[in-house]
Amino acid sequence: MTFRTAARPTTPEADIRAWTDQSALRSGRVMLTPDLLALAQSGATILLAARTAEGRPTSAAAAACRALSPTRLRIIMSRGAGKPVIDALREGSRVAVTFTGSNQHHRAFQIKAETAVITPARPEDMPEIERQGLLFCEGLAEIGFTKELAAGWLFADTEDMIAVEVEPERIFTQTPGPGAGAELRP
Amino acid sequence: MTAPSLEPLRSAMEGVYASIMATLDEDGMPNVSMISQVHYVDPQHVALSYQFFNKTRANLMTTRMAAVQIADPETFAQYRLDLDYIETRTEGPIFETMKAKLAGIASHHGMDGVFRLLGADIFSVRSIEPVAGHAIPPRPVPRPLLAATRATCAAMDACTDLDDLLDAAVVTLHDRFDISNTMVLMVGDGARRLFTVASHGYPRSGIGSEVAFGEGVIGVAARECVPIRICHMTSDYGYGASISETARAAGLVAGPGRQIPFPGLTEPGSQIALPLMSGSTCIGVLFAETPEPMRFDFEMEDALATCAAHLALRITLLQRDEPEAEGPEDTAPPPVSGGVALRFHPLDQSVFLDNDYLIKGVAGAILWRLAREHADTGRTDFTTRELRLDGSLRLPAHAENLDARLILLRKRLEERNACLRIDKTGRGRFRLNVLCGLTLVEITD
Repeated sequence: MTFRTAARPTTPEADIRAWTDQSALRSGRVMLTPDLLALAQSGATILLAARTAEGRPTSAAAAACRALSPTRLRIIMSRGAGKPVIDALREGSRVAVTFTGSNQHHRAFQIKAETAVITPARPEDMPEIERQGLLFCEGLAEIGFTKELAAGWLFADTEDMIAVEVEPERIFTQTPGPGAGAELRP
Repeated sequence: MTAPSLEPLRSAMEGVYASIMATLDEDGMPNVSMISQVHYVDPQHVALSYQFFNKTRANLMTTRMAAVQIADPETFAQYRLDLDYIETRTEGPIFETMKAKLAGIASHHGMDGVFRLLGADIFSVRSIEPVAGHAIPPRPVPRPLLAATRATCAAMDACTDLDDLLDAAVVTLHDRFDISNTMVLMVGDGARRLFTVASHGYPRSGIGSEVAFGEGVIGVAARECVPIRICHMTSDYGYGASISETARAAGLVAGPGRQIPFPGLTEPGSQIALPLMSGSTCIGVLFAETPEPMRFDFEMEDALATCAAHLALRITLLQRDEPEAEGPEDTAPPPVSGGVALRFHPLDQSVFLDNDYLIKGVAGAILWRLAREHADTGRTDFTTRELRLDGSLRLPAHAENLDARLILLRKRLEERNACLRIDKTGRGRFRLNVLCGLTLVEITD
């Protein structure tokens, strides 16, 4: 996967600086900055977590992300592979989503929200699954994965897709290094 | 209900794909991140690497639950493990194995002390659930590992001296396991360093090159006495630099003019270092590498560990039961002076032939002693026993590796096509063949 590259990582401090610079015009609302929106839609590794009805943590990987606006992300994932997370979200679980750049020097962030909305996948989601999938594979190839390995991880049945829409309420830098996990506050 | 077993999932814990880890805080807010090591402990337990204090860690200490998702790199099958935290271990074999792997990776990456394992978090497995999706059937095992292991052990058993044994080990691993590059390193007497005594598959043998304990996969395997395996070098923390470059950068070899380059691959895809143990002491390391990634899975490690254990045993036995032959001694007239200058630097016991570095340390001292005696008396036949008893060689009390030093010396002379040769004449006996005029020069530097 993506965080084991030899490339020099960006730092959590750099994330916080970029956040501050790009947040100057915003007014107290949690909005994703342009660079985070770009990262989320760049073929990143997208991971979700939720709390099951039994009170246990569970996780899933998603296939793509579309930013509907700076305050709303649409995450497209396999219904079958993501079932425990989807079920948990339907039961009212809170949600966490981490985006890790596939070729952006380990850069990563996590969003958290009280709720998420589950919707069927739409035709306009499909080109993004393909585009981001290709970027993801390119990122893996850069760090030495074979095409077979990258495609194996990525494999997605487009007939089986579902979407999770999230409005981020808190954002955290998850780029490795001192300060990792720091909240990016509005 | 049968307890869930992790046994069939071991290849998904090889670390090829990173794993996903989810936790909850006390309010039920989830957290998700990637984790570098999910280590197989036994069919009901895993250990996760604890490297940083972060939200995952805080959640774990509060709610003691985790979900981990792992993926098999061969079948692409994925599994969710529902885990209960038991304890964090900061010592013991599980911790050392995980720490050593991390340390080996970090060392090659020039990040000693940065990638630090703070603990091995032990979890029991509540449930294992396959993740829906496509998976391809596992490939049939391409190598009959058991047969290769048996054949390798048999080849070692057929060797009656250490020299043949070391060569048989590296060659048979190549022939039977189809491993392109192999070497054996032995621990120097009293020093926490290893020197290469046999290698196979490299353009230059690298006989005599040195690795310090704790440096790289070989040095860490020796220091921690655990196998170190990296199965996908380029994904494992972007390992790119060759071990030889790393070794040089880390000052693992002697200063300028006294280096024997380490023969390692420039771009290894897979590496494994297995400690050779005599009781609880590491006496050497069996090392193998290939350019292809993922050549060494856990089953290959099991097989090679068995070969390494057998090799260590054979080394120990051959060193113990070596008869110290006392036979008639041949002499030859000392050759005339002139020809090649054999220079000896007592400070580090290094020997140069004319201006070319040959060897240093105990092996250097041995050569100097033999050459001097030959010059004085014309004697050519020697025994390892007399070397062991010779105080001037500064051998440690239990010089178990004298034989390895002699092998090293013989191979270095052979490689250099030197006009001096050491030939075995029997167990515990050898002959110094001087084929040219020698001038002995002791440098007092």
